[in-house]
Amino acid sequence: MKKNPVHIILLLAILVGLAGFVYWFTTDPVKDLAVSVPGKDNRQKGNLIEEIIKIGEKFQLFGKASESSFVGTWPRFRGENFDNIVSEKQHLKDNWDAGEPEIKWSVELGEGHAGAAIYKGLVYVMDYDEESREDALRCFSLLDGKEIWRRSYGIHVKRNHGMSRTVPAVTDDYVVTIGPRCQVMCVDRKTGDYLWGIDMVKEYGSVIPQWYTAQCPLIDGNKVILAPAGSKLMIAVDLQTGEKIWECPNDLQYNMSHSSIMPMTLNGEKMYVYSANGGICGISASGDDEGTVRWYSNEWRFSVVAPSPLIFPDGRIFLTAGYGAGGMMIKVIPTGDSYQVDVLAEYKPKDGLACEQQTPVYYNGFVYGILPKDGGAYRNQLVCVSPDDVQKIRWTSGKVSRFGLGPYLIADGKMYILSDDGTLTMIKPDPNQYIQLAHKKLFDGHDAWAPLSISDGLLLLRDSKTMFCLDISE
Amino acid sequence: MKKDKQQNSRTSRREFIQKSMRLSMGIGLAAVGGLVAFRVHADDTVWQLDPFKCVACGRCADYCVMTPSAVKCVHAFDLCGYCDLCGGYLKPNANARSTAAENQLCPTSAIRRKFVEEPYFEYEIEEKLCIGCGICVEGCTAFGNGSLHLQVRHNVCVNCNECSIARVCPADAFQRVPTSQPYLIKGEWTKDQDKKKQSPTG
Repeated sequence: MKKNPVHIILLLAILVGLAGFVYWFTTDPVKDLAVSVPGKDNRQKGNLIEEIIKIGEKFQLFGKASESSFVGTWPRFRGENFDNIVSEKQHLKDNWDAGEPEIKWSVELGEGHAGAAIYKGLVYVMDYDEESREDALRCFSLLDGKEIWRRSYGIHVKRNHGMSRTVPAVTDDYVVTIGPRCQVMCVDRKTGDYLWGIDMVKEYGSVIPQWYTAQCPLIDGNKVILAPAGSKLMIAVDLQTGEKIWECPNDLQYNMSHSSIMPMTLNGEKMYVYSANGGICGISASGDDEGTVRWYSNEWRFSVVAPSPLIFPDGRIFLTAGYGAGGMMIKVIPTGDSYQVDVLAEYKPKDGLACEQQTPVYYNGFVYGILPKDGGAYRNQLVCVSPDDVQKIRWTSGKVSRFGLGPYLIADGKMYILSDDGTLTMIKPDPNQYIQLAHKKLFDGHDAWAPLSISDGLLLLRDSKTMFCLDISE
Repeated sequence: MKKDKQQNSRTSRREFIQKSMRLSMGIGLAAVGGLVAFRVHADDTVWQLDPFKCVACGRCADYCVMTPSAVKCVHAFDLCGYCDLCGGYLKPNANARSTAAENQLCPTSAIRRKFVEEPYFEYEIEEKLCIGCGICVEGCTAFGNGSLHLQVRHNVCVNCNECSIARVCPADAFQRVPTSQPYLIKGEWTKDQDKKKQSPTG
């Protein structure tokens, strides 16, 4: 039988076609692709065993405070007037010689970013003791840094970019603290005696923010104002007894941020302003409607908010946050018995004043702040803006004067800026130009982000592990 | 007799072929060995980018002659904070801190996120999927410790005489490094200059 080449080619073509069809039919071209859906990281819910936390259970007395003539105070986060400006008269040096500023003393602390409050010669720090696994309110002598007493309670806090990060609120009689995992504690200022405590996670279902809370307590007269942002948005507690005075329901469903409550008076009405994860709100602080939401805005809606609201007398509020959020200027406008909120400006961090961790300072009509790492060409530089146009940069500190996420504070007409690595810069806060007065590397620091505090010519600052006391007085 | 002669003759041809093969293989191996020795001579260099200069502009993904790019993201685990909220993994203001596609920053899902224990998460690069765009590097540098960074992977790089990425790198981050130390990896131990240039797998 003679083989016809055409038939052979046809047969081969059919076979190849069949093989191709079988291959196409049986091969899944996307079999190697993984579907990106929630839960692929095998995230597990927290501890199954609930930890028993007995707030204020332990006390250690180490000695008596050294005699001193200190009378100054830095009683809370952002100081007496919530503006990060030292209101008491200070006589501070305009420049530093070779050996200045002198480090008077230093103490080791648990890893964290908790700043100090100062009250008449005593220093209060909400620390975390890594060895004994305790939140510890530590009282030191401002004169020599000796620890006087410690009030603590056992709690497990894992390293997560530091542990402690709040500043206590202090009055003549009381000290109120918030621990990293949202436990509130009130003690006698002088003796350290435990008075009362509130576990905001247990009582209100607060969700602990990323890297633990940085909310600092607010004492307003005989009330402690807290923002659990769980089942209740904000609460007022009797300072003396710990009894609840009012609880504002969290109908807005906001979550706890790192921001702290700031007081505001507008149109004769006193309010508490809280920049939460989810939005910003004003809660009435007096009158028949005390403890109710007077206004809110969900335009400011970010998942990580660290800086506190910067409030201007005319009802404007400057809001800023890191992680790409940028800045926003809103205005709270009275309209009859209520308020409306207008957004005046909203922008990304490279388009105006924005800060990642620290709250900017409003001084003599101008705002000073350090731009974040995603702040474009001016990243990490100190900038000055007018509140009338926060997107127009008046001046920057320049390429050679970049800072980090560290704190800044104004005292005696000078601004002190601490860089992450322990370099302290002193400038004159001038709205027209950047004027650097002095600059010194104080120590080999790491993540020196805690708020500064100044009293009696002494500056308290810290990096992640050590607190230093500097003599900056004349 | 004739048959034996033919057999001897056949054997001798086989041996000849075997010897020839051995000889040619030996010469070939020697040549390859010599060539390799020549190529990995200490004075030879390869392209690498300095992660401390890199600005994560994205040009590594577009300009490399290889597709996908020979530049890949590597992770310095000793620098990483193991955060739940990772600026290199999650989009800014992501809806949730989860592995859902809409929350991931990487356009090719080349970063694998694994729960370690509360509150820690580990992030690994799947090199097959990485296109070297540097989006994660930008996020990690802006909001984190900068542990995610780009490197030229020499198992992919063809070591062009004139690197097409180096020509357009706005940060002048590309440089020639010795073949024996072909990587510039970030990490705690990069403070030690002697150890600064090591293989990420080494």
